[in-house]
Amino acid sequence: MPDYIVSVMARDRAGIVAGVSSALYDLGANITHLNQTVVRGYFTIILSASLPEGVEIETVRRRVESAGSPGELQAVVAPYAPVPPAVAGGGEAFILAVLGRDRPGIIARVTGYLAEQGINIEEFTANVVEGNLVLILSVRVPASLDIAGVQSAIEAVGQEFGITASLQHENVFRATSEVHAVARLRSARR
Amino acid sequence: MLSSEDILTTVSMLQNEHLDVRAVTLGIDLFSCADRDPETLCRLAREKILRHAGGIQEACQRAVERYGIPIVNRRIALSPVAPLVAEHEPETLLRFARMLDAVAEEAGVDFIGGWTAHVQKGMTLASRALIDSLPDVLSETTHLCASVNAASSHAGINMDALLLLGRKIREMAERTADRDGFACCKLVIFANQPEDNPFMAGAYKGLGEPECVVNIGVSGPGVVKRAIERLRQSGEPLTLGDIAEEIKLTAFRVTRVGELIGREVAASLGAEFGIVDLSLAPTPSVGDSVGEILEAMGVRHVGGPGSTAALALLNDAVKKGGAFASSSVGGLSGAFIPVAEDAALAAAAEAGHLRVEKLEAMTAVCSVGLDMVVLPGDTTAETLAALAADELAIGVVNRKTTAVRLVPVPGKRAGDRAVFGGLFGESPILPIPTGASDDFVRLGGRIPAPLVSLNN
Repeated sequence: MPDYIVSVMARDRAGIVAGVSSALYDLGANITHLNQTVVRGYFTIILSASLPEGVEIETVRRRVESAGSPGELQAVVAPYAPVPPAVAGGGEAFILAVLGRDRPGIIARVTGYLAEQGINIEEFTANVVEGNLVLILSVRVPASLDIAGVQSAIEAVGQEFGITASLQHENVFRATSEVHAVARLRSARR
Repeated sequence: MLSSEDILTTVSMLQNEHLDVRAVTLGIDLFSCADRDPETLCRLAREKILRHAGGIQEACQRAVERYGIPIVNRRIALSPVAPLVAEHEPETLLRFARMLDAVAEEAGVDFIGGWTAHVQKGMTLASRALIDSLPDVLSETTHLCASVNAASSHAGINMDALLLLGRKIREMAERTADRDGFACCKLVIFANQPEDNPFMAGAYKGLGEPECVVNIGVSGPGVVKRAIERLRQSGEPLTLGDIAEEIKLTAFRVTRVGELIGREVAASLGAEFGIVDLSLAPTPSVGDSVGEILEAMGVRHVGGPGSTAALALLNDAVKKGGAFASSSVGGLSGAFIPVAEDAALAAAAEAGHLRVEKLEAMTAVCSVGLDMVVLPGDTTAETLAALAADELAIGVVNRKTTAVRLVPVPGKRAGDRAVFGGLFGESPILPIPTGASDDFVRLGGRIPAPLVSLNN
């Protein structure tokens, strides 16, 4: 059975996932991966599902959108093709935290630097509360990069906006926040 | 999955609360270097230390770069020197000590410990020779630290050794009179000395330890103090139970960071990872003080009523958080209250709130003992021995580690100031509790080991 990637966006309410997954089930689909999030009351989901041979992409899209009231859900469907690792040679996971007074352009500048260096963003949340910005990015830094150099460049990017930006190894956060044995955490490098 | 709140707490500990690793201490066994020829002994020991510790700077630097957590001090702890230098002449001991001092410099560590003897039940000729060497060795070296275990719950208290040490402390003080008796800052006398303590001056590598082992001292008291302040500023109604919970959580986090770094450095050096010592070790910097933690908890003057209870809460909460964080917890693992090295304690002593008697009471619920307590220059060897005996008795009876680091400052009196500089700080000279006990001390012999049953 071929795999598809399905993404849906809508104003959040109870029952969207139930509607979308029932619509896919009715088409004979099996969902294998799923991630959903809500930003300021707007729901988005991305999932991977395998579907029987011969089901048209447009059919899938229409059936998924019909799980909501007319115009409520916006769906995108694409055939799945394997993706090579975004970062050559693996690299290690780091957390980039940016904190300070919000201004337009910070995200573009920070992520622009990451893109230049070939550092892939794997998870990203940003929130502005009372004018204060908090960015938390989980990134994978290619092993070929000098981490101390990347750290100081990121701090310098923060200084351009008068805010703090710091990059720390993910293990530091896992060690301080999880309860697994530290020895296990070190041996199971992700 | 990491939550944003957890990430931000850790970021804040790193950026604003100066989370660090206080000490990376590499234990090295030197017994394979024993030799009757002084030249060979020194050569073998030097080679072995450099073989294991030569890369300590680089290993620490790699861990700092990888994890972004500062490592404040790098140290070496040797297997006890006393039995290693048995049968050697005093000149060889001094030569060996100078070699160790130079090796410390070469390896780039700030201290090297292990000028150590165990005399809790009796004294070998080698232990006697090592104790006799202390005035020469500690006045003529910079990085070398000495310790003597003079009491244990199993053996009792060796009063002869304490009186001898009292005399040596006076000699050490006289030999470094121009530096306020600084040599005394590098000698710790213990009851129940731990074999895996990474903190100086009492670190040595015990006989039951691996060939080469990395022990870690966790972050200083500043992190805990700021956690309590943050909690109090939140405006929520608080009880002491809430403060204990916050300390536990903070101790959990700092212990985990300590273990992470310790395992990284150990792997890098090809050494075993030993333990994380949970002790909160202050430095003279403002904001890095155990005294300030008690003040943050609402004790107005450290040494005043409530101090012992607040310290007991702190010490216990740190242990609970740390013990859950890691199965490799050891060393001393209790808050230190070294007066000269802790700005708030030194200030409390200056203001007359903190006295020797209260310090002694506080050490019943924490680590380590009458530590960096600065005394008048005319304090007799007998009084030094009696003060030490009191402190060690607390450890012996309560089956815990206690210790003394007493500094009689030549030519100075109670109320004067002694300045040691660096990590050793400065302190007013504390008055001695009145009444000499010379006759008691001079009776000598051993205070027998305490009964461990009939606990009521």
